[in-house]
Amino acid sequence: MDARVGALGRLTARRAVEAVPLLLIVSGIAFGLLQLVPGGPIEVYLSNPGVRPEDLERLRRALGLDRPLWEQYVSWLAAFVRGDWGFSFSDGRPVLARIVERLPASLELLGASLVLALAAALPAGIIAAVKRRTSTDRAISALAAVGVSIPAFWLGLMLQLVFAVGLGWLPSAGRGADGDGLARLQYLVMPAAVLAFVHAAAWTRYLRASMIEVLKSPFVAAAGARGLDARTRITRHALPNALAPVATVVLLDAALMVPGAVVTESVFAWPGVGSLFTEALGRRDYTVLMAMLMVSSVAVVAFNLLADLIHAWLDPRVAS
Amino acid sequence: MRSAGVLSVCLATLALAACGGGSSSGSGATAPGTSRLVVGYDREPDTLNRFSTHILEDIESCVVEGLVTTNEKMEIVPLLAASVPTLENGGVVLRKDGGMDVTWRLRPEVKWHDGTPHTSADVKFTVEAINSPAYNPESTDGFDRITSVDTPDPLTAVLHYQEVYAPYALQFVRGTLPRHVLDGRDIDTANDYNRAPLGTGAYKVAEWKSGEYIRLEAAPNYWRGAQFPAIKTLLFTFIPNTNTRINQLKSGEVDMVVMFPWDKYREVAAIPGVAVYKIDGNGYEHVTLNQRAFPAFGDMRVRQALTHAIDRSLISTTILEGLAPVTHGPVQPVSWAHNPKVRHYAFDPARAAALLDEAGWHDSNGDGVRDKDGQRFSFTLITQAGFAVRENVAQVLQRQFKDVGVAAAVQLHDGTSISKLWFEGKFHAMLHWWQLPADPELALFFAKDRMPPAGRNINYVSDDALTTLVYAADRTVSQAERTRILGEAQARIADLAIEIPLYGVTKLDAVPARLKGFTGNPTNTGPFWNVHAWTLE
Repeated sequence: MDARVGALGRLTARRAVEAVPLLLIVSGIAFGLLQLVPGGPIEVYLSNPGVRPEDLERLRRALGLDRPLWEQYVSWLAAFVRGDWGFSFSDGRPVLARIVERLPASLELLGASLVLALAAALPAGIIAAVKRRTSTDRAISALAAVGVSIPAFWLGLMLQLVFAVGLGWLPSAGRGADGDGLARLQYLVMPAAVLAFVHAAAWTRYLRASMIEVLKSPFVAAAGARGLDARTRITRHALPNALAPVATVVLLDAALMVPGAVVTESVFAWPGVGSLFTEALGRRDYTVLMAMLMVSSVAVVAFNLLADLIHAWLDPRVAS
Repeated sequence: MRSAGVLSVCLATLALAACGGGSSSGSGATAPGTSRLVVGYDREPDTLNRFSTHILEDIESCVVEGLVTTNEKMEIVPLLAASVPTLENGGVVLRKDGGMDVTWRLRPEVKWHDGTPHTSADVKFTVEAINSPAYNPESTDGFDRITSVDTPDPLTAVLHYQEVYAPYALQFVRGTLPRHVLDGRDIDTANDYNRAPLGTGAYKVAEWKSGEYIRLEAAPNYWRGAQFPAIKTLLFTFIPNTNTRINQLKSGEVDMVVMFPWDKYREVAAIPGVAVYKIDGNGYEHVTLNQRAFPAFGDMRVRQALTHAIDRSLISTTILEGLAPVTHGPVQPVSWAHNPKVRHYAFDPARAAALLDEAGWHDSNGDGVRDKDGQRFSFTLITQAGFAVRENVAQVLQRQFKDVGVAAAVQLHDGTSISKLWFEGKFHAMLHWWQLPADPELALFFAKDRMPPAGRNINYVSDDALTTLVYAADRTVSQAERTRILGEAQARIADLAIEIPLYGVTKLDAVPARLKGFTGNPTNTGPFWNVHAWTLE
């Protein structure tokens, strides 16, 4: 056991060191890509005829956009690593504050949809694998195919029409302007359901494939030969092995779900990080976009590591 | 089948758990009273400082009032000023040195929400703050021509302009900055003010929840009297998705959606309890013809031919369902400066073909597209993505150009990208609208020295006579004289067929049928200009 903990510690340390150059490269690429997107923070002012060339020049200087690109990048990077994330180009508030205030909504949505998606995907994937090629398996697979292919915005709008406009059971969007905690929870139902459905569908398919593979292994057959019942064989022997690769997918999806729930957040006017990203992109709010891209990159690296640690924990061969 | 059941059971459980406590919820459907109005708004403001924002000032105008505002007929009416200064009432005096003095007299009874009187010192401070290099407002237009401000008494401010500035009456349409709050501070970072500005209006900012909503509450002791406003709470919820906004209107969660797209008209008009207000706006959809990037547009006959080639009434009656009237120039009928007698170009493909023939464009190789000196008449027509109506209109234009042997390729771009393209002149033709201020400002769009970056002349037209006219209008204060000059300018623009005007931009606002006092507004002043007078029955 100690050797295993030590191995995991070494893995963590190695990954942390490797992450530094990786994140640097990512920041450079992200900065460059943002410059390649046509239009910048100044162009958003052009729709007002009262904004004249001298105003544009003044605003460009005020935002530091008149400096050479490399200088903009270096000064951004130097400040960023010191923890100074700068000010939003669109509203002048600190970038960190703008992101942090959106986190509770994002984490709430992430948590609820993770729980829902796992609650659906775990049993569905196992049952489909165990009852492979039966009508149950085919029904699950069909539903999963629907979930993978259905556009989130369409599903969201349909749910709104049925549950908000038609039945009046649930609020259609927002997070509730007033009301207590429980009342506000109903705003979470539809966005969480949409996000969960889409992810559950994909995870069900992964888990089913993984389980089928593991169930074919000699050790599962050996467990059967030792007289263990089917339930124990599946839950104690096959499942931990099948879960290892699925855990990686789930964690990576989860890392991307915070900034990546863009469509769901937009349809449901959910005030999370995803809608901040859409808004910042529309206004070419470079400082906010860079910070969000860096946070997402760090999250992907961290969740990747976490997935590897879990994988290694579940399967000691990986750690060694 | 069992696992499909598992998923739905999970969802249903969460739904039930949530609904269980939901009866006291704040969704608009359960609060239909007369004291609260929920507005589904398409975007969150960047700042509530009216001088800093680059987004429509709908929310701001409920809180911060201008010295004047523009009403539903686009007339400039006094708000915090006792009257609008003019030459006739002695409020405007032209000086011999070419400058002008404008005297603003303020209403005596107006106080800021904190009880401090609103005075000429605030007017003076506003001019100085905007002209100060320390502050970065969106625009300093007009302010930068004011050399000094005298305040002979607390209710009189005299502005000295170094030259004649025709739109002087709209100088303070965005209001004034409170000196006692902002003096000596960095306004760009004064977030206490920028997020909850101190105003004199019917409402004050009670709460701004980022990404969710802004809640305005009635300001106590509003200067018009305690009976205003009748609606005590205005809740602006930010719902960027148009379909969602309209779903919320249907479910009763929001009461009101301003400026919704034309293609949703039937759907919204059919919602019970919702009234749709249509008002002709001060904007016009048109096709800009960039003469610099596509030299064929430099030939007047070609531009006239392209204008004759388009069946504008067909577009207006079919795609636009009669909502947007055909227009013939940049100044719309709602404006005092509108000239109805400019040249009209009827839909006449034969005339279009004849003009193109005359200009030397023939289909010499029979491929259906005209050519001249080995060059095909083939250009790109850019327009903004995400507007269903505009995308449809672009396709009609493409088809009708094709009928006269002209090939147009439609390209869609997102809003910020397209701004960059037109500002750099990197396009051939563009389908878009200009939303003009209440004071017609044609020089910016048509003077020969106002091509980007110096202005918005993106037709890249260079006409001496027109340039003389539009600048003369800018240097004239008398409205009768300006009307005459601007009328001539409009006639010149139509004669030269500088761009292809299509239709006026009608504004559609969906409000509760029981809302009284609502009028809409043709300008960017926005429909909340008279919010103090609204009542819910």
